[in-house]
Amino acid sequence: MASKTPIVVVKDICKTFKIRGRPPVHALRHVTNHVDKGEVLVVIGPSGSGKSTFLRALNGLEPVDSGSITIDGVELTSPKTDLNRLREGVGMVFQHFNLFEHKTALENITMPQMVVLKRKPGEADEIGRRLLERVGIGEKADSYPSELSGGQQQRVAIARSLAMTPKVMLFDEATSALDPETVGGVLDLMKELAAEGTTMVVVTHEMGFAREAGDRVTFMDEGEIIEEGNPEAVFDHPQHERTKLFLSQII
Amino acid sequence: MVDVIWVTMPFLLAGLWITIKISLITILCGSLLGFVVGMLRTVGGWAVSTTLGLYIHALRGTPFLVHLYIIYFVLPATGISWLQLEAFPAAVISLSLYTSTYVAEIVRAAIEAVPRGQSEAARSTGMTALQSMWYVVLPQALKLMIPPMGGVYVIIIKGTSIVSVIGIAELVRAGEHATQRHPKELMLIYGMTALLYFAYCYPVLRLARWAETKFGSVRLPS
Repeated sequence: MASKTPIVVVKDICKTFKIRGRPPVHALRHVTNHVDKGEVLVVIGPSGSGKSTFLRALNGLEPVDSGSITIDGVELTSPKTDLNRLREGVGMVFQHFNLFEHKTALENITMPQMVVLKRKPGEADEIGRRLLERVGIGEKADSYPSELSGGQQQRVAIARSLAMTPKVMLFDEATSALDPETVGGVLDLMKELAAEGTTMVVVTHEMGFAREAGDRVTFMDEGEIIEEGNPEAVFDHPQHERTKLFLSQII
Repeated sequence: MVDVIWVTMPFLLAGLWITIKISLITILCGSLLGFVVGMLRTVGGWAVSTTLGLYIHALRGTPFLVHLYIIYFVLPATGISWLQLEAFPAAVISLSLYTSTYVAEIVRAAIEAVPRGQSEAARSTGMTALQSMWYVVLPQALKLMIPPMGGVYVIIIKGTSIVSVIGIAELVRAGEHATQRHPKELMLIYGMTALLYFAYCYPVLRLARWAETKFGSVRLPS
């Protein structure tokens, strides 16, 4: 059960993309949210709803225009904050895996540990091998990303994030680019992490996962949080018309 | 004919040696400078990037011969003592500046060709911009640079022939001297000259090809 210590606190953030010659896109409009320690927050919504921007804002990959974001007591949005230090504690898993293509699976996990956390090669190696076992592909340690399936690559990416012992893990549509037969395995892994008490923010189109592993579901549309609550409430008794419409389209 | 070859070859080889010296120094200096310019252009702010862009386009948009004349003839006319350059340094400096602009564009294009997700992943693990560049982006960009670099080097090697106009006795100049001595053997002498260039350039191209395969085919995410 999630204890009530907030790890992520988001207050009133706004983000507008301005592209010359086009009307500005309000990706985030006054979004306020929080994630407690051990909680799994699932963010759903149609494409272009701002959910990915919201997630990318949480580790500063997408700087916000206004509002504040605090990660474990450190204000990300403060100009004084060392973003690099803060990002050590925020794991991120991408839709397209983004494994370092010139490194083997194991090196993908050991390199950031050595560069960022200054761990010794032996220690990083041991952690790397253990995590590869943990995500179920221990035998692929010496394979390059191009030799791995999408599902295997995503497992390496998850292991790479876990190696930094993050306070919170962000998943940006982690299974959207996978072949259908590998989706289930990665989702199972994410469910295991959730069950182990990992604090997670998950942007996904997998409603089964949201229902099963999510502690709380947030529905976003046009840069706003439309509705949120526990999975049963949102999926079975949506209050808002837009939520009903979205759910009717995808389930 | 054989005795013409016999007599001429030492001259041509001496010329080739000067061509090799000029081109190697140029390739080294031009690549280093170009690497720095290309890097700064990708990571620097607007002002840096614009200034360097101006440098690149000014040099690429004008003939090398003009640069050479400016550095060898115009700069000494200013009377400033350290701008009084001998032919050899003048040739090397102008060729290096010229080379650097091509290398800079190759470096920039290669860095930009590495998908953004790579640096985003690096940054999201807590790496600084510099660490991300050094450990993640550059190693992948380097592989992309090898084939076009080989092409530029060969163009520069052949381009060194232009510096004969300021009196440097490189290969083409040596060939011209030889034709004055044996005016009836023009085809033979220029043929020998071309062969010597080929003997120098071909291995460079093979080397680039070898490096390309040796350092692995480029792996880019789909």
